[in-house]
Amino acid sequence: MIYILEKKELDQTLTSWSENFDVFAPQKVEKYSQFVPFKSFSELTFENPHNTRFPPKALFLPQTEVLQKYRPNLNQLQEVVQTPKPRVIFGVRPCDAQAVTLLDTVFNTQENVDPYWKVKRDASIVIGMGCTNPCQTCFCTTVGYGPFNHDGLDALITEIDEKYFIEVLTEKGKSLFTHLPPATKDQELQVHSLQLEVKENMPIAFETKNLKQKLDKIFDNDYWQTISESCLGCGVCTFLCPTCFCFDIVDEVQRNERIRNWDTCMFRIYSQEASGHNPRPTRRERTRQRLMHKYSYWLDHIGKIGCTGCGRCVRYCPVGLDIRAMIRTASNVKSEVIND
Amino acid sequence: MNELERKLKTEIERLFDEDIVDLVIAFKKADSPLRPQPAFYKNKAELDNLNYNSLCQNNLANYLTKYPHTTRIGVVVRGCESRSVNALVVEKQHPRENLYLIGIPCKGIVDIRKIINLTGEEVNDYTEIDDEISVRVNGNKVKLDRKDLLHDSCLRCVHPNPTNSDVTLGDLLPEGDPSIVRQAVESFEAMDRSERYAWFRHEAERCIRCYACREACPMCYCTECFVDHATPRWTESSVSPAGMQAWHIIRAFHQTGRCTSCGACERACPMDIKMTYLTDKLNENMITKYQFETGLDDKTQPPFASFNMDDKKRFIL
Amino acid sequence: MTDNGHNPYNPIPMHVVRAYFESNDHSLKTFELVFDDHKDCIEFFKNYNPGQFCQLSIFGKGEAPFGVASAAWEGEFVRFTVQKMGSFTQYIHTLKAGDSIGMRGPLGNGFPLAEWKGKNLVIIGGGCAFSTLYALTKHVHHPQNRPDFDQLIVIYGARTSGLCMYKHDIQSWYQREDMQIHQAIDVPEEDWLHHVGYVPDVVREVSPSPENAVAIVCGPPIMTKFTLPVLVELGFAPETIFTSLEKRMKCGIGKCGRCNIGPKYICKDGPVFSLAELNALPADI
Repeated sequence: MIYILEKKELDQTLTSWSENFDVFAPQKVEKYSQFVPFKSFSELTFENPHNTRFPPKALFLPQTEVLQKYRPNLNQLQEVVQTPKPRVIFGVRPCDAQAVTLLDTVFNTQENVDPYWKVKRDASIVIGMGCTNPCQTCFCTTVGYGPFNHDGLDALITEIDEKYFIEVLTEKGKSLFTHLPPATKDQELQVHSLQLEVKENMPIAFETKNLKQKLDKIFDNDYWQTISESCLGCGVCTFLCPTCFCFDIVDEVQRNERIRNWDTCMFRIYSQEASGHNPRPTRRERTRQRLMHKYSYWLDHIGKIGCTGCGRCVRYCPVGLDIRAMIRTASNVKSEVIND
Repeated sequence: MNELERKLKTEIERLFDEDIVDLVIAFKKADSPLRPQPAFYKNKAELDNLNYNSLCQNNLANYLTKYPHTTRIGVVVRGCESRSVNALVVEKQHPRENLYLIGIPCKGIVDIRKIINLTGEEVNDYTEIDDEISVRVNGNKVKLDRKDLLHDSCLRCVHPNPTNSDVTLGDLLPEGDPSIVRQAVESFEAMDRSERYAWFRHEAERCIRCYACREACPMCYCTECFVDHATPRWTESSVSPAGMQAWHIIRAFHQTGRCTSCGACERACPMDIKMTYLTDKLNENMITKYQFETGLDDKTQPPFASFNMDDKKRFIL
Repeated sequence: MTDNGHNPYNPIPMHVVRAYFESNDHSLKTFELVFDDHKDCIEFFKNYNPGQFCQLSIFGKGEAPFGVASAAWEGEFVRFTVQKMGSFTQYIHTLKAGDSIGMRGPLGNGFPLAEWKGKNLVIIGGGCAFSTLYALTKHVHHPQNRPDFDQLIVIYGARTSGLCMYKHDIQSWYQREDMQIHQAIDVPEEDWLHHVGYVPDVVREVSPSPENAVAIVCGPPIMTKFTLPVLVELGFAPETIFTSLEKRMKCGIGKCGRCNIGPKYICKDGPVFSLAELNALPADI
């Protein structure tokens, strides 16, 4: 069922939701766009920039999160897992929502479920904004996803001519969009054909068939040395990536807290061991680890590529490295066949 | 290729032909017209993708510390970069005799974010002929003015010409006006203390501790940065106000007498944080109190990295 | 809170009942810990298997993984031997009976004992990595467990006799008829009656048969590196050689991403891997 919301009524809708939910939507903060509590319609940023600088994963896995508070002398802990107020996260691009479902397979597991992630996830209704105008840095279709994908969303919006056509995907999503006029059959066809057209027009950045096997084969190849030469080893790609999730756990003594912080395999000390040995001593190993994790190891874990093609790493890499080009070149590396 | 790129290519070919270098660090055309990438040429075979224009936004001196001292490196340097190289040579990070500096007088680096602010994100093409810059947006050609696009550090540039280079390609440019940066520093100083602190917090607290600024900076080459040190823990790694303020202010102080105001830190930052106002102030202090400016030659020791018996404070840190 | 109320990041409160030095240079110290809450004790031993590790945790000091050095039948305590390496282990060394400590575990896969039923066990350990092998040996010693396995050969090398762990107990192993024990030190010492030489050479000397056998090797990386080829030389197939790996860890439950080798997490899919499994993984260690 597709419902119609007039674009000019969005402000009122978001405001009415704010009575029962914390509403987050992408709005202009400083010089860029961020998921922050909804302030006003005029601040919403769907056209430009197309996506927030920081991915919405931060709403489920904050960059800094307190795991435990403890009392110094009594060694007792204070429970800090708090169920947040129910919230609506509005305007999430399908690539970012897909990324959240990928992270569910890490955090929202049967065994050893991460309670900090779970309470936020359970309290969230995620409304997606489909991409009618993908950027040149977007490559979701290349990695097996798409600009109107449903994964991770409770409803998906397709904007056509000042109208929002809303596909309700779950019960949670349905609860928000009652008493809206339904679309006609013709309008539904129009929506679906636009979605298909946009998806098919997106260029394929690289071939993924047998990509994993190729990458596994060239693990020891010199190729990794060449592409890591200009890499600075900073954390921009990791911290802006919606699927990266590695974290560090530290004790902050002055606040009596045990905290987890985002971490990145691109930093040298990430894998530094107490003995002084570092299994990934140079940028060659670290760049390789990041790419292999996304395009090979994720496939071993859940059969899906661990990159949703949002393009943030391409846009914000300080030295202009483009992951699409790196993978394309990797696929073309001549690997020596030894004892095959 | 434009004329400057052709001259550059010829020079690099000569360096390989005459076995003067093992490696040349320059820029190359890569995947997007807006993003030339640092290039590491080991021979003259791939020089067809050589690129040099105002979008080349990285400080290539940064890469010198990644190679052993025995590597003979040719590197393309502009004004600020050449001073970074001098500063690294003074700090013994690479012997000068194993460096070949190809100097290019610089009209300033174009800040891609300024382009995007003016035209939106979907820029497909970029052409630069002298001061005429144009981009293609949604199929339409848009002409832009260089002075609207220059990175803030370049607007305050005093030394656009390479110092101490082995060869200079292109005509020398007039020195910049040092009063521009002095005025910027003074207007910051003119704010009262609480305003300055509020501004500092406003910038620093957007930080996501990605350390792109540190990695892009040629002078941040410590094998263990103070933020990574565990015993004792100098500053927290969390995104808390204390941690972020400590990171910014201490890194700025570690740059005193070493920073060349190239602005690579700001260009690398994904959160558009301003930080050169801190180092510009410290650099001005170096000029007024110690008559020292970083990297004007490759011999003079920076005041905070050297000790003379007639220094006023007789203590050893 | 989650449905079952279990937060896998929360350390379980324990306290020290015994703490004593293992090595004469005081770099190795053994701690025997008991649970503050008996319910936690029951839960722990329900799931515990030799070869697993725990994250020992002290708020304000940190957390680090340590192999469990005791078998379940030994009593309602958990033994760890800690080597003083950095700031956290240095602090642990100051703990004495009565002091509190947190623990998360048991973590990891442990040794695949069910797979090893009926087989000869060749246990090869070096240095402080012997702790989980000690747990394994103790487990096998129990009369209820011993019939599950055929021959038991233990080879344990340390740099010097002073650095040998569990000396007192190991002395008694020489009197046992249900196992062979071969201890070794690197260089000769007065009064040392056993092997002298590096572990790989001692393995070659002892020459255990690969027939119906599995070999378990735990030691410093250099020892493992040179011992594995000796076992291959002796005829052990990669599927029958096992080792326990270490890498920097934080969460211990396969979430923080840090301890991976290729697609496997050492904390969750390991730390025990067979050589066959390792050969299929990229060289990322």
